[in-house]
Amino acid sequence: MFETYIKDYNEAVFEIDKELALEVVETALQQGVTPEQVVFDIIIPSIEQMMAEIVINADTNLAQHFMTAQIAAEITENMLAKFKTPPEVIGRVIIGTSYGDLHSLGKRIVIGCLKSMMVEVVDLGVNVKAEDFVEAAVAQDAQVIAISSMMVHTATGENGSLKVRALLKEQNLENQIKLVVGGAPYRFDHELYSKVGADNWAADGVTAAKVIRQVILDRKSS
Amino acid sequence: MTPLEILSATISGQPTPRVPIFCNLLDQGSKLLNMSPEQYYSKGEYVAEGQLKILKHFGHDNVWSASYVGKEAQLLGCKEILFADHGAPNVADFVIKSWDDISTFEIPEDITQHPHWQSIGDCLKILHQEVGATHPICAYVTASTTLPAILMGMDKWMELVLTGPIDVRDELVKKCSHFVQQQLTAYRAAGANVIIYANPFGSPYFIPQKMIVDWSMPWMKQDLKDGPDNIVYYCGMAPLNAVTELVIEKLNVNIFYPAPSDDLTEAKRLINGKGLTSGVLDDIKMIHWTEQQTRDEVKCIMALGKPEGHFLFGTGFMPLDIPEKNIIAMLDAAFEYGRYP
Repeated sequence: MFETYIKDYNEAVFEIDKELALEVVETALQQGVTPEQVVFDIIIPSIEQMMAEIVINADTNLAQHFMTAQIAAEITENMLAKFKTPPEVIGRVIIGTSYGDLHSLGKRIVIGCLKSMMVEVVDLGVNVKAEDFVEAAVAQDAQVIAISSMMVHTATGENGSLKVRALLKEQNLENQIKLVVGGAPYRFDHELYSKVGADNWAADGVTAAKVIRQVILDRKSS
Repeated sequence: MTPLEILSATISGQPTPRVPIFCNLLDQGSKLLNMSPEQYYSKGEYVAEGQLKILKHFGHDNVWSASYVGKEAQLLGCKEILFADHGAPNVADFVIKSWDDISTFEIPEDITQHPHWQSIGDCLKILHQEVGATHPICAYVTASTTLPAILMGMDKWMELVLTGPIDVRDELVKKCSHFVQQQLTAYRAAGANVIIYANPFGSPYFIPQKMIVDWSMPWMKQDLKDGPDNIVYYCGMAPLNAVTELVIEKLNVNIFYPAPSDDLTEAKRLINGKGLTSGVLDDIKMIHWTEQQTRDEVKCIMALGKPEGHFLFGTGFMPLDIPEKNIIAMLDAAFEYGRYP
């Protein structure tokens, strides 16, 4: 039953046609699909299909990633207001751009996807100090700190991920809080994440949501 | 032959002793002059001195008139730049904060009279006097469909492009295109002879091919209505092979600066002797490579790109983290493996 909705919805997102994607969801609701089913049986599987598509099809583009996240987040927010009982949250992530970095596109894509996948997101914004990442992660009992960097010096600089790693180590938090990074420099050098002290990385915003979700699940099961 | 003669001959397919070798070193100038980036970029004389010292020190082919991309935003009203000790400056004040600001947003009547053009003009004057007859002088101009990203932030621009009112979007691009045309005229008049026309929104990595054809391409035509002379098509290190034929056909531009991830053999096939394509080293990896790894990579790029000419060796915007020994190793290898028999 849901396959057709997922297919129609994903085709609309791939064509970056927001109105059509919203129409698919509206039609599903009119045909008796519940808000819970919209999120768990249409939106989340659709995001997962986009994640799979990115792996096998190098021709997906940033516009499609952006629309995947924005449409999913908007629909999820609307549907959550109509849920009979609040959904179970998978986990919590603290996200922001690295110190000195003011680019927020990648972060916004990650947040949109994560929210739709029932991950609670605390967005610290742009140009975030390492101390603030760690302090927020402790205060919010987050499993992951996610740092986005668009520039080489903000990815590799001593006040970015390297300092977050040092603080986690100093405060003996490395087992509780994992560090995930993403952004342009990491796409050019796939080993860079380990050199800045991160536990994991992703090449794009949609894949980052997948990676972060998995890190949370691993962390909670360990 | 001078580096400028080598570049011109390479584009037109004439014999040259070697491949042109471009190395894009910008922020390194402040280190060489022992200045903070903010001080260094405050005067065109400093930037020109830094570029001439870099050229003398490393011996590559090109110099840069550009200071940083945010300069374009400053010419359009940006009031704050975030300087970093160890990297490129960021735009910290977005001129357009909401879509409502677009209707009142204005382009200067004559950018060459703008206070922020002063340092660019001063820099170009010195470079033109010192090396204009012998070396390529590069300028950087952001295309009208990408420029709004530095005026309002990339995510806000992406949102407007994909979901906003078309008339508002195109009103902004029209104003930006007017600015681009002014910049191209001003740079050419001041002596820049290689103009990097940067348009990530002209790459299928950013938007679908259909949108490039239907939306980006007409605006690029408008930007370049005075002709394609000295224009280099560049998508901000995003891949461009998929649009090369389209750009040649529609814009008459025949010099390309692909991404390191573009297939160089395919790039050569697409240019097919009609102009010039480039083999661009993934310079972020150079931060952690050994000298030998750097040499090996240059050798590989030259082996793919050099046969039958029409080829330039180049880099991205070399991060300051790259050890100097790797820059030297890269250039040594480029001159060695870039020689024609």
